[in-house]
Amino acid sequence: MTSATAGRTRPVRVEVSGLSKTFGTVRAVSDLGFTVEPGSVTGFLGPNGAGKTTTLRMVLGLVSPDAGSATFDGVPYAGLREPVRTVGAVLETAFHPARSGRDHLRVYCRAAGLPVTRADEVLDQVGLTGAGKRRAGGYSLGMRQRLALATALLGDPPVLVLDEPANGLDPEGILWLRGFLRHLAHDEGRTVLVSSHLLSEVEQTADRVVIVGAGRLVRQGSIAELREGASGGSVLARSPEADRLAAVLTEAGISATRSDDGLVTSADTTPADVGARAFAAGIELHELRAEATGLEELYFRLTAGQEQFAAGPTAPGATAATAVTTEGALR
Amino acid sequence: MTALVRAEWTKLFTTRVWIGLLLGACLMAGGFAALFTGLAGAEENGQPGLPAVGTPQYEEVVFSVAANASVLFLILGIIGMTQEYRHRTATPTFLTTPRRGRVVVGKLLAYAAAAVPFALLVLAVVVAVVLVYAGARGAAPSLDADNLRTLAAAGLVLVVFAVIGVGVGALLRNQVGAIVGALVYLYVAEPIISSIGAIQGAYKWLPGGAVQAITSDFQAPDLLEPWQGGLLLLGYGLLAALLGTFLAVRRDVG
Repeated sequence: MTSATAGRTRPVRVEVSGLSKTFGTVRAVSDLGFTVEPGSVTGFLGPNGAGKTTTLRMVLGLVSPDAGSATFDGVPYAGLREPVRTVGAVLETAFHPARSGRDHLRVYCRAAGLPVTRADEVLDQVGLTGAGKRRAGGYSLGMRQRLALATALLGDPPVLVLDEPANGLDPEGILWLRGFLRHLAHDEGRTVLVSSHLLSEVEQTADRVVIVGAGRLVRQGSIAELREGASGGSVLARSPEADRLAAVLTEAGISATRSDDGLVTSADTTPADVGARAFAAGIELHELRAEATGLEELYFRLTAGQEQFAAGPTAPGATAATAVTTEGALR
Repeated sequence: MTALVRAEWTKLFTTRVWIGLLLGACLMAGGFAALFTGLAGAEENGQPGLPAVGTPQYEEVVFSVAANASVLFLILGIIGMTQEYRHRTATPTFLTTPRRGRVVVGKLLAYAAAAVPFALLVLAVVVAVVLVYAGARGAAPSLDADNLRTLAAAGLVLVVFAVIGVGVGALLRNQVGAIVGALVYLYVAEPIISSIGAIQGAYKWLPGGAVQAITSDFQAPDLLEPWQGGLLLLGYGLLAALLGTFLAVRRDVG
């Protein structure tokens, strides 16, 4: 058994093709296919209800698909000879409340035929050593995420599948998780698939993204490829001469709407562009910042209206601006 | 399979559920043994009630009371299986062992094996209570072949009920529902069936009838032979386990 820091692991590619699943009358996933490459972090993005969790559960053999398959170097999960040593998964942050984190890990060491000392090693790896002997029922959400990650790491697997692992982590925990996932993929050559409904969460960690909406593949590719396809973003500008700025921008073909705290432009410009035009017109600016990056705008456009509970059609720019503002506040 | 059984034992002994249920089973069996001994030979309205201390009938009744604790062994098995769904640990459990049938079989074996020392402890409590109390009332029973056979039968009932509990838990998955359902069945449905003349004949084929056949309650009507009751009860355990395994393999875990 090699320890997690001992170098690169064997590369395993994950291939998903034609996955479909219907629950009653709800088509949760339709004909979904993508690949996840070793040595990189792949973000699995989509709004809530887009079918991400159902897809991951099908990939891991917990939910049986109506059609399609998911394989790890050609082998479906149920056929893996040593599943725990091949794939680690974080799907649930629920544990038996009366069992300590360490005992929880020992259960799965036993079941997978791993030495029980692995429990202490992975607790250390995720920074939970001090809490290992406490009952999991008393853990914070962030600690439960770490314990779930520790469970996934038990078998030192070349593939990691994580469903919304940043939920409940504090800002420090999120930074730690980003670094940890990048280390696992880039330095150790593991295949990391991490789902999120927030682009901002994945943008700084992932090398590639797979975007789904309403159970279908919307786009897959590297972050760099996606950036190329994205235009400028929307910009928020605050000025005592907001009306004159709006007129200047409109003249330049950039539409802008008044909001409580200034002007919000349509999604085709950059702070530098707006700043240059304001400067040229001699307009005083009190604040100038990107309201949403081009990538965020693109993600929003790609998945707009594909949430299960989408709230009626609105102008794309306006929808993006409000939604992204909420997202920014959560960050 | 050894690994899976050991994992189940780790699950069982790293929470305190087993302590409560085992203490409850000991109290229940010991309490009934004391009650039966205290009331032995007493008359009810001039009619003879329980057989008197020193008679073989008394010894058969009092040594089989341990079987009354079977409900707690049933609950132990039910909790053992349903806690996976209640606390959502079914996900890591089935990820670790994707062939889910093996998980259920491992649990069945683990609980059958763990129930053996638990049952022995319950029997020891009964024997201790009876030897001391009946001895004080003048005739401590000897542990002869007949009495040992009665004790063994009661112990077998306890172990099989733990296995049935695992099977029922795998079938129903909902912990509260499974426990309430089992209690309603044992304490409401079966007594009704056994008391209605037209369907009374069916009672001997039910788990409760099988238990009575094994422990050969002297008052019971129309029962199977003890060995037939034992086979029938084992059959129920296996049926619950098979159905539970079948469903656990087919149902989505979400």
